[in-house]
Amino acid sequence: MNLEERSLRLELREAYAVELVDVSTYYYGERRPAITGINLKIPANTLSLVVGPNGAGKTTLLETILGLLKPRRGMVKVFGHDMAKRAHFVRKMCSYLPQDFMKDSDEPFLVKDVVAMGIASNRDLGRLREEDWRMVYKVLELVGMLEFSERPIGKLSGGQQQKVMLARALVRRPKLLLLDEPFSSLDRDSRRSISENLLPSLVEGGCTVIMVSHDLTFRPAVCDLVVRMESGRIVEVAEA
Amino acid sequence: MISTLLLNSLIAGVIAGSLCGCTGTICGRMRLSTIAFTMAHAALAGSALSLLLGLDYLITGMLFAVFTAIVLGPLSDILRISLDTTSMTLFSIYNALTFIFLIMSPGPTLSSEKVGGILWGSILAITPTYLTILITISIIYVMVLRIFWGRISSILFDPRLAEAEGVNVKFYTYILLVLAGMIIVFTLKITGGFLVFSLLFIPSATSIQISRSLKGMILKSSIIGGLSSTIGILISFALNLPVGSCIVIGAATIFAATSMASSIINWRRGD
Repeated sequence: MNLEERSLRLELREAYAVELVDVSTYYYGERRPAITGINLKIPANTLSLVVGPNGAGKTTLLETILGLLKPRRGMVKVFGHDMAKRAHFVRKMCSYLPQDFMKDSDEPFLVKDVVAMGIASNRDLGRLREEDWRMVYKVLELVGMLEFSERPIGKLSGGQQQKVMLARALVRRPKLLLLDEPFSSLDRDSRRSISENLLPSLVEGGCTVIMVSHDLTFRPAVCDLVVRMESGRIVEVAEA
Repeated sequence: MISTLLLNSLIAGVIAGSLCGCTGTICGRMRLSTIAFTMAHAALAGSALSLLLGLDYLITGMLFAVFTAIVLGPLSDILRISLDTTSMTLFSIYNALTFIFLIMSPGPTLSSEKVGGILWGSILAITPTYLTILITISIIYVMVLRIFWGRISSILFDPRLAEAEGVNVKFYTYILLVLAGMIIVFTLKITGGFLVFSLLFIPSATSIQISRSLKGMILKSSIIGGLSSTIGILISFALNLPVGSCIVIGAATIFAATSMASSIINWRRGD
């Protein structure tokens, strides 16, 4: 996608995927907020990168957007829905890849079942259809994990587990994808493939991606917005 | 007469043992072991209260267990302490209450079979009504697991991630806890209050060693629970020993045999 096309896409956007107005979030029993005074608008169909050192509040920001952490002050809207009231509904349109996801070796969950769980939460009574399973295998192939589909997830390496979790996030066909340090355990080739192929195609397909990274030098191939955080505050928002 | 009693006991034991094995695995996966432990002792305290008040132990036991399942989470939130700490505090209180209720019970009750039945289990009181209720609970439990399996398995894998994907984790957790409470109370009649927890977790600990998938783990822990009960009841009948203790010894023997076999197999494979 060239610069002109990207500018056009940004201009054509009609709504914000995520809006935070004066948001402050505290962890249980803490007096100091983990994030405070957050004002942020993330346009739909864009890729935003949230950067900052450890403890800057990046993960807290993602979990506040999803409503996993309830802000003590302020308002969070996702696709125009107030997360204080409609969290369960909105989450069905979202996928989340948590940071440092690593399961013990005795975890009794097969790779294909872990990915299928991503779809189950969006189906009536959680029952999967035949086309859902086809989708599961397709996404596993996309991330290069198809041959491991029958293996327990705990027997895989950290990088392989991260790919399985990415497959679980993708299989939901989310409108909003939140990635928390998605490349932390991946090798260089996998990083490049996801950064240069997968993420741009997701954004083109109508998905809004918010990605957290502590690596200040890292930039995905397509990046519309860079949000820099320090000590629980946003210190800079720049269009890339 | 004896054969009917033995048959009823075996049927009840297999059903209760299987339900306990399954429940233990689910509670263990959900990191709710301490809650289940506390619920078991809540049921025991409730049963002890029934002796004091002359009520049916199923009613008071169930009330205590379900009450514990419902209030533990909110209580932990209000007190701002971890769920495990709250559980263990309640566990201590329930133990104290159990002894107080037992000591305060009328003399004839205290010397009757009822006390022994509540503490270390008895198969003499297994009636057709009890069996019918046990079968009904097992049908409800299997149906709940089957209907909601997609979401429940997601919670068992990672409750935080399940919540992030829009699963109502609290709702399903409460359903499972209330069902666990019912199963604990009904099993208490066979194993006794102090040993019901063992039947919840020994089959689960055994199945972990020989299962690759969650479904396999739940199925195997159910089979091991049922088998433990069968062995225990038969030993109890043959040697005239407390049935609860015999069931736990049966479960522990299966656990030891499985651990040894599993270690040998892994050693041969070079793992």
